[in-house]
Amino acid sequence: MYSLQTTDLVHQFSPTDVVLHAINLQVTEGSIYGFLGPNGAGKTTTLRLILGLLKKQQGSISVFGKPFHENRVEILKQVGSMIESPSLYGHLTAFENLSLVQKVYQCPKTRIQEVLNLVGLPDTGKKKASQFSLGMKQRLGIAIALLHNPSLLILDEPTNGLDPNGMIEIRELLKRLNEEKGITIILSSHLLAEIEKLVTHIGIINKGKLLFQGTLGELKMKQQQLLSVVLETSDHEKTVQIIADNHLTSRLEEDKIILPAMSKQAIAKLNQQLVSNGIEVYEIKAIKNDLESIFMDFINN
Amino acid sequence: MTISFVHSFQSEWLKTKRSLALWIVIVGGLFTPAIVTVARIIQYEAVPAIYSSDHFWKSLWQSSWESMALFLLPLGVILTTSLITQIEYKNNTWKQLHTLPLSLTTIFFSKLSVIVVMMMGFFVLFNIGIYMSALIPYLLISGVPYPKNPIPYEYFLQQDLKYFIDCLPIVALQYLISLKYRNFLVPVGTGFIFWVGALAALSWKYGYVIPYTYCMFTYLESGVANKAVMPTVNIHVLACVYFVVITIVSYVLYISKKEKG
Repeated sequence: MYSLQTTDLVHQFSPTDVVLHAINLQVTEGSIYGFLGPNGAGKTTTLRLILGLLKKQQGSISVFGKPFHENRVEILKQVGSMIESPSLYGHLTAFENLSLVQKVYQCPKTRIQEVLNLVGLPDTGKKKASQFSLGMKQRLGIAIALLHNPSLLILDEPTNGLDPNGMIEIRELLKRLNEEKGITIILSSHLLAEIEKLVTHIGIINKGKLLFQGTLGELKMKQQQLLSVVLETSDHEKTVQIIADNHLTSRLEEDKIILPAMSKQAIAKLNQQLVSNGIEVYEIKAIKNDLESIFMDFINN
Repeated sequence: MTISFVHSFQSEWLKTKRSLALWIVIVGGLFTPAIVTVARIIQYEAVPAIYSSDHFWKSLWQSSWESMALFLLPLGVILTTSLITQIEYKNNTWKQLHTLPLSLTTIFFSKLSVIVVMMMGFFVLFNIGIYMSALIPYLLISGVPYPKNPIPYEYFLQQDLKYFIDCLPIVALQYLISLKYRNFLVPVGTGFIFWVGALAALSWKYGYVIPYTYCMFTYLESGVANKAVMPTVNIHVLACVYFVVITIVSYVLYISKKEKG
């Protein structure tokens, strides 16, 4: 079952400015879904549409199997969110910021201190939120999203402004919440490296189009498929001929010959053949396509 | 709706803690009485005669309301309403508020209710302040008698109610503008222009079409009406009509907003 599903979600700010093209998100219950894309790709617009912050124009959104707009209040009782920067009242303390949300959710008051401890803000006392560092604000924003024990957590770039240690802490916290409480988490980011150790599923969006959606395993499969070998020699024409004689395909890119993935033995054999034919080999290297380069490949093509 | 409204109201009320709007209500409510008190202490020789007057309470009431009705109350309402509503824009919290499990109707009316309740709080403070401005000189200055006539509660409450009703269209219009525009200067600037316009319109036959004139007319009709062309219509009824109509328009604009944070 999907905790969240969008069907053909289209959004435009003006007739000529279509920012989302038929987005079909499918977020499996209990998953951690990484929503990836460069700045301006449409991540925040999608998340704002999902939460009803933008008026839906085309397509449908269902959360927990129910249409969002018809069941908005009921659904939002089970959803925690933080969109873009944390929403905090600067003249109030951390406790007061949580307290005013607690009054709406009517969850136990003890929960306020619990979530403050959980995000690493146990004793900010009378300090006003406006005096918090960006990292502290981010933590408090996450605490607000977690206050009512939501079943679905939507976080837009949650580690923005956190130091490396803070990033690790928040990642661990999210992982723990997912594993121990079964909370489905959607988090957006423009950095794959930041979330690849955390997510189970990934959606890649660029220029308003969803380019990939699947499990992390499926994305890693693409990693294997995309391995390649780069060759630089003194005579490209002759080299390409020898490669063809070995029943291999190659292409020339920026004065280098790109070959598909091959075994170490095959690379050694090809090298021997080139040298014995009087070709000088300047460079042979296997390109290991990490997830980041696959991501870049998606958004650049 | 009912119970979620109560919870939403509590949440909205908490947002006013330590806010500038709250300070405006407290300081604004006690400002004129404090000035009256200080003035009487300074001019202590004239005070026994004032306190012996048969019209002491009404005279105190009039002098307290003079600057309040013409100046402090309309401007205070403009500022308070704009500040409370703009808390969300200032803190970029509309997006958080609109992802809470509350209907838009609940959010709209709980926020408006907080403003109205704050206005009531202002009237309570102002009335306490007026009483204190009578009591303090009596306690501090020797030879000052306690006013011989009883406090005309009924008259004071009627006047309070009239002024309160007169404020409602200002609340509604400032609320509408503050919900619509992110820039704090828009509601405050518009309110200020209306207030200046209202002052100028006092001597105009149709000045009552500007709802910002009502507090002023109410003050002027109770003593110094010759300074203005008094309206021929019941301005308190008109104030209620304006309040209802502007609130409905404001509500429709609010719920039909395309971007909610």
